[in-house]
Amino acid sequence: MTLEISHLTTQFGSVTAVDDISFTAKASEITTVIGANGAGKSSLLRTISGLEKPSSGSIKWNGRELIGLKPEAIVRLGVAHVPEGHAVISELTVAENIAMGGLFRRRKNRADLESASKEVYELFPRLEERRKQLAGTLSGGERQMLAIARALVARPQLILLDEPSLGLAPLVVEQIIATVNDLCRKTGLSVLLVEQNAITALGVADQGVLLSLGKVVADRPAKELRADATLRAAYLGY
Amino acid sequence: MNLFLSAFFSGTARGAIYAIVALGLVLVWRGAGIINFAQMGQAMFTTYIASTLIISGKSYWLAFVIALIAGAMLGALIDILVMRPLSRVHRAEALNSPAMKATIPVIASLGILGLLQALAGMFWVGQERGFPAPVAIEGLIVAGRKMPFTAFDIFTIAIVALVLVLTSLFFRKTGTGLAMRATALNQEVAKLSGIRTTQVRILSWIISGAASSLAGLLIAPSSILSPSSLDLILIIGFTAAVVGGLDSLPGAVLGGLIVGYVISFVNFYRSPEDIFLAILILLLVVLLVRPNGVMGSKQVRRV
Amino acid sequence: MFKKNMIRALFFAIAILLVGTFLDPYNQSQLSVALIIFIAVLSITLLTGASGQISLGQGALMAVGGYASALTILNFNLNLWLAIPIAVLVSALAGLLLGVTAARLSGPYLAGTTLVIALAIPSLANRFESVFAGEIGFSVDFGSSPAWLNKVIGDVPVEKWQLIVTVIFATIALFFALNILNTRTGRSWRALRDHDIAASLQGVNVGRSRIFIFMVTSAFAGMAGALYGLRGIVSPSVYAVSLSLSLLTAAILGGIRNISGAMIGSIIIVFLPDWIGAVTSRLSVPTRISDYLPALITGLLLVATVVLSPGGLSGSIHHKKHK
Repeated sequence: MTLEISHLTTQFGSVTAVDDISFTAKASEITTVIGANGAGKSSLLRTISGLEKPSSGSIKWNGRELIGLKPEAIVRLGVAHVPEGHAVISELTVAENIAMGGLFRRRKNRADLESASKEVYELFPRLEERRKQLAGTLSGGERQMLAIARALVARPQLILLDEPSLGLAPLVVEQIIATVNDLCRKTGLSVLLVEQNAITALGVADQGVLLSLGKVVADRPAKELRADATLRAAYLGY
Repeated sequence: MNLFLSAFFSGTARGAIYAIVALGLVLVWRGAGIINFAQMGQAMFTTYIASTLIISGKSYWLAFVIALIAGAMLGALIDILVMRPLSRVHRAEALNSPAMKATIPVIASLGILGLLQALAGMFWVGQERGFPAPVAIEGLIVAGRKMPFTAFDIFTIAIVALVLVLTSLFFRKTGTGLAMRATALNQEVAKLSGIRTTQVRILSWIISGAASSLAGLLIAPSSILSPSSLDLILIIGFTAAVVGGLDSLPGAVLGGLIVGYVISFVNFYRSPEDIFLAILILLLVVLLVRPNGVMGSKQVRRV
Repeated sequence: MFKKNMIRALFFAIAILLVGTFLDPYNQSQLSVALIIFIAVLSITLLTGASGQISLGQGALMAVGGYASALTILNFNLNLWLAIPIAVLVSALAGLLLGVTAARLSGPYLAGTTLVIALAIPSLANRFESVFAGEIGFSVDFGSSPAWLNKVIGDVPVEKWQLIVTVIFATIALFFALNILNTRTGRSWRALRDHDIAASLQGVNVGRSRIFIFMVTSAFAGMAGALYGLRGIVSPSVYAVSLSLSLLTAAILGGIRNISGAMIGSIIIVFLPDWIGAVTSRLSVPTRISDYLPALITGLLLVATVVLSPGGLSGSIHHKKHK
């Protein structure tokens, strides 16, 4: 279950947000895409999940081309995207948000859907307590958990996480990242983690892809990236 | 007192119908981002179909059901033939400003309205007809006293209440209902959750089409049926939807009732000629004081 | 620019008058109607095409102009050369009021509200019957051509006089429209259409600009409404909602983005029934079909235009030229 991206380019008008990017996210690993603000990280994820149309290149998931598919079709192939900004629907309750994530499986596999939602609640007990609450009333961390839970209930093989740490307290970030790490190690879920917070991301990732101005600057094991003082200084500023 | 009661009951029955009209408008607005000005054209067309069936000797209820189905189909057709191609076209066009994007579907829906009215004129020679009610439209007589409401008023209120309960159950309890709500609230998250938003869109048109047909069937007995006889109802329904809040389904119901009472009391206590003015004033006051309606979301929708 | 627009407008006037001399009286009066509609459509082109706002209430503003001119003519015994400017002023004021309420609305909200206005305003004539004479309305006319003109170019029949008057006002309207579109004002309007937030950052006062746009475009509609009434009767049914919708159709068919589109659309909307009539009478189509054929075809054209070529006829011609 690998995701192979080759020569992917996405443009918005005259701006090239994703510029000839190639890398591979291996199965059951955490691949992190790091880089400064505006490096094209979010646009990359949005292109993978079908929200943006690339101008060229290819995205192969298990050998199957994803480009040209609608977002709703890509989710059905097991690639779930948790967009930036704790994307939940605030006017719906916690339970409805989670149910929404599994809607498309409700006819084919009802039993598995039920166990999937049970697992999700076990993973995030805080959400279980707040089932009936509107998502808009949750704290930032809880909303991020809900966004991830909504994606997980679809039982994806690959999850695309966009800046889960954005605007959250360090303790909450640690907890969320630990949960994701656990999931990957225990269930074999592949993770493509986009982060501005490179220290945290490289801390759990197997492979690190460093972006700058839409291009890949480095694609190496996370350990090596962490150790490379030159790259750190030049692109990450720590 | 009797005048007050008459105005009240007539307002409730009228308001119930306007609630359905507003519901139809709100459904398409939430589901597709379009105010469908062709809606009462659709209603007029399907009411003519029902009327033709009844004239040819079929039962009221058969005509009733067929009209609802025809309304649903008409809604689907509008989405497939016009609105869907439209949303693809102007993505590439130069007329791509947010203001124009909101404007073009409105114009298309007006074109459809004209088209439906012309077709109705051709098929039914534009003749004005009456339309039967399944029960009496004269004042109901209970224990020898004439009541301030008619059997048809009660019929209308009952049908509308039933429809509202079913709609609310559908949206709250079913997966499809949840998918529709999610799509209306946040299309991107809905898509990422695997919801097929194009299907949700067409479903909004279908339900709205059936609702409009129902409104047409309920309004026709108390007016005449002609190709343009329901245009007014659209205006009233639009006002009701805005009063309630364009993106709120319960708001549509409340707005419908409010407008129903306003119209009925103006009609009973002043004169029918003041109705337009009353609607206009009501609409302007709501737009100025509470632009998102009584039950609309707080988020301001400007462009 | 100013001079160039003046020349263009004069050229337009001469061209129309030349065409007019070759037409029979019926078609002369139809051409006058097309010119009146053209003035009204200009108000939509400026409003929708230049600022992105949609109004379905232009017919109501025409009614304001029509009643204003009729009341001035009948009560103060003024001729149309004074009555029409007064009508223009009154409808500009009405537009100001409309603008104040509508400035914060946009898209479908504005469309719906203006549609309600289109219905409500003519009904005021029934509500205040003593002033506005209810359903019966007022009868007014273009009068006849002055004696000196008759001396210069020979007797001017009614239809021709009507054409001359409408050409004069249409030329004035065209001249103003050209100037508005090509000046700083026009550019700031378009900025408002395309990016209202960006426009406000560049110092365009969005609210005030919107109100101003409504006022100016209402003046156009008022002028058209006054002329429209002078054809005979000023009454609620003359300015029905269908008039507002016809105007919108004309604007869209021709092309909402430019002035030539307004002219093309107005000619289509006025002459289409005649053309269809000419065809159907030859083909002996039953009347129940031919009666509704113009409405059917305009509806179809309107939908087809927005789906296939939202720029309208003039837009698609323009587009091809630049390819």
